[in-house]
Amino acid sequence: MGNKQTIFTDEQLDAYQDCTFFTRKEILRLHGRYHELAPHLVPMDYTNDPDVKIPLALIVNMPELKENPFRNRIVESFSEDGLGNLSFNDFVDMFSVLSEMAPRELKAIYAFKIYDFNVDNYICKEDLEQTLNRLTKEELTPEEVVLVCEKAIEEADLDGDSKLSFADFENMISRAPDFLSTFHIRI
Amino acid sequence: MRRMSVFPQHGTALETLGLTANEIRQEVENKTSELVSDLVNLSAGGRFQAIRSLPMSFNERKTIRNRVNSVKLSKTILSADCRQQVSRSFRRFRASLASARQHLVVWQDTLKEIGGRFGTSVLSYFLFLKWLLKFNLFSFLINFCFITIPQIVHAPNISSVTGFRGLELLTGVGYFNQTVLFYGGYNGEVIVSTPAYNMQLAYFFTIAAYLVLCGVSLIYSMSRSFQNNFVLETGPVSGGAWRLLCSWDFGVVNEKAIQYNKNNLGIQLKESLSERLQEKNKTSLSDRIKRLSLHLLAWLLSLGLALGSGAGIYFLGTDKLTFNFDNDPNDLKAEASTLLLPVVVSLINLIVPLLYSLISKMESYSNPRAQIYISIIRNVVLKMSLLGILCFYWLNFVPNKISCWESFVGQSVYRLLIIDFIFCLIGIFFGEFLRNVIGTMCIQSLGVPEFDIARNVLDLIYAQTLAWIGIYFSPLLPVMQVLKLFIIFYLKKISLSMNCQPPKHTGRAAQIQTVFIALLFFPSFVGTLSMVAFTVWRLRPSDQCGPFQGLDTPFYAIFNWIDSIQDPPESKWVWWIFENVLRSELFYYLITLIILVITFFLWQITQGRKQLIKTLREQIVNEGKDKVFLLNKLQTIQKQRREMASYIPQDFDQTTHFNTNWMSTLPFEM
Repeated sequence: MGNKQTIFTDEQLDAYQDCTFFTRKEILRLHGRYHELAPHLVPMDYTNDPDVKIPLALIVNMPELKENPFRNRIVESFSEDGLGNLSFNDFVDMFSVLSEMAPRELKAIYAFKIYDFNVDNYICKEDLEQTLNRLTKEELTPEEVVLVCEKAIEEADLDGDSKLSFADFENMISRAPDFLSTFHIRI
Repeated sequence: MRRMSVFPQHGTALETLGLTANEIRQEVENKTSELVSDLVNLSAGGRFQAIRSLPMSFNERKTIRNRVNSVKLSKTILSADCRQQVSRSFRRFRASLASARQHLVVWQDTLKEIGGRFGTSVLSYFLFLKWLLKFNLFSFLINFCFITIPQIVHAPNISSVTGFRGLELLTGVGYFNQTVLFYGGYNGEVIVSTPAYNMQLAYFFTIAAYLVLCGVSLIYSMSRSFQNNFVLETGPVSGGAWRLLCSWDFGVVNEKAIQYNKNNLGIQLKESLSERLQEKNKTSLSDRIKRLSLHLLAWLLSLGLALGSGAGIYFLGTDKLTFNFDNDPNDLKAEASTLLLPVVVSLINLIVPLLYSLISKMESYSNPRAQIYISIIRNVVLKMSLLGILCFYWLNFVPNKISCWESFVGQSVYRLLIIDFIFCLIGIFFGEFLRNVIGTMCIQSLGVPEFDIARNVLDLIYAQTLAWIGIYFSPLLPVMQVLKLFIIFYLKKISLSMNCQPPKHTGRAAQIQTVFIALLFFPSFVGTLSMVAFTVWRLRPSDQCGPFQGLDTPFYAIFNWIDSIQDPPESKWVWWIFENVLRSELFYYLITLIILVITFFLWQITQGRKQLIKTLREQIVNEGKDKVFLLNKLQTIQKQRREMASYIPQDFDQTTHFNTNWMSTLPFEM
């Protein structure tokens, strides 16, 4: 690598490498992708840590997220303010958790946040219904939707409060070895 | 405040307790110090992995990382700068190794595209192909460096060189006969150079080392895969909760593919609902007998087909044992007739699996996963019986009848591989392209063909088994396998995009992946290892060609070498180890006994842990109930406390009296 990049200082790149699952090259590439999303907002020089956030509407237009049924929830779960405006650190964080090197426990925590639509730290029946509506548009009748959600809660609820807490969710994830490979977005 | 909580579930508890902002901050500070001290005590690698896995925002993780680093620094003896520099440069070196490895990753973009359009289960086929490619590339490199290059540099006299005709590419005889492609082109002399290079030992040890490395790598992958996918108790696949929350493939980015997956999910949910709503009819005895007899019939038919194919190959083989090198090398017809056997084998491999899928359609399975596993077992039985018959024939009949029999076996394997490749191309053309055309234009009801992962992976395993068998007899055979895998990758990718659609039932892809690796190890690699071991240990090598000419068995090369190093005193320990440890039976009995005892202990530990998991699950249930109870009680007490506090300004006399009463009745030492 002959050219010395001036986007980040060496300390910043070290911090990124220590705190996320990406290497220096990948961080620089991610910065390029972040910059592409809003070229007039995002400066090329990040050495003094500018406070720049890209709004939700621009981020969900990325090809990796555009067609995903949960794109809004994914971006909201990683944003500081809960509204979906991501700084570069949040952006890197998002793809780091969704990469293949993140461990199962970490992915389970964020998957729980994504499916928790009303942000009350529980996946209740309404959250499940919203999930189901995003996954199948016209296939199921409203009664079938209610039935499926009830059955799902019945199966997974361990402590009997008719909603899924994080422990119930994690227990279910531990029985699904495919989760590691399906909860994965390549960038 | 959304992402400030260190642990998601404790966040709500702190807030509902009504603590002040100061108290919350104090609590968080305590937790952070605990976390930092835990992290400081881990090893370096574990520490960074733990920091990366913290469920906080990036800035918080950076703060914790800086604190951990400063604590570490304050504990060291060396000056802070020097230590910091050393650790930083060490970490940078490791990271640059990781990124250099990424340069070597080939096909990264292609794999991303395939995963994006077809999902992770189809992607697993291509990843398997890439993995096999690595095995063959490594084999080619070490064979080329250690065996072929010395041989080319000191080339033996080639007795008769025929001109190159086109047919050699298919049959491997003629021009290729005496080249380094096959065993016969190698010579067992000791090359005189400053360290003397013994070709016999080089040939033996290179192939042995490669097989051992392959075995170790396979065992390692198999155990990792098993640990990830099978060890934890797995829940039902048809469960609604699993399908809703764990099965959506986030990696698919193509709009049509996502629509397709959504449709599939809807259909599966509907099916599982209707199964549930329907009453479970008790299957009557006659129904069960009927189903069982159908299964039995299907198994008999499948095994009969496999045995019949095996017998056919056997008779065809012994009949055609006529092509010798002594024959007229210009007899093209006799040479082309050697291609008959491989063509018949490939035809069997193409047609019989189709018959198997027809047979399985007539059976009814309660469980779609059982259907996949049974079809895999039948196909594996067919392929392994074919290979078994061929190996038996090669090792029992051929050595007595043909002069340079190892080259003959090498050439047979070469022919099998080439014809298998040609049939794979034909299969892509007819099986996928034409079937797509027929399905979309002529017979609409057939539809677009699904990409059958199991069949394709089994074809890859079969070809790899052939390549492994052929390594001893033809050291440069992996070149062909590498080229073949490259071409198949691109052709399958193109055919996939143009012709196929992803499979409908993708449940349990991870477990099937483990089954494939286990199949690659158990019948395929172990069979090859035993065949090569038998050849080296028992069979007499041919007298006129090859590196082991004149010895009783190839293993005698090792005996001779060990005898030769007996005399010089500095290498006597090698001789001693060989004679008294490796050759004594007692040593192997002891090792087997120790391994059995260790296995028994580990099995007992596993049983104990399963019991522990069950108990812990029950404990989660109980703790949930406890938590609800305690929170309710706490909230009632808080409410009472607030109500009591609101009485204070009204009636001074009465409240003092009331207050003392209140203080004695409530339990403070909760």
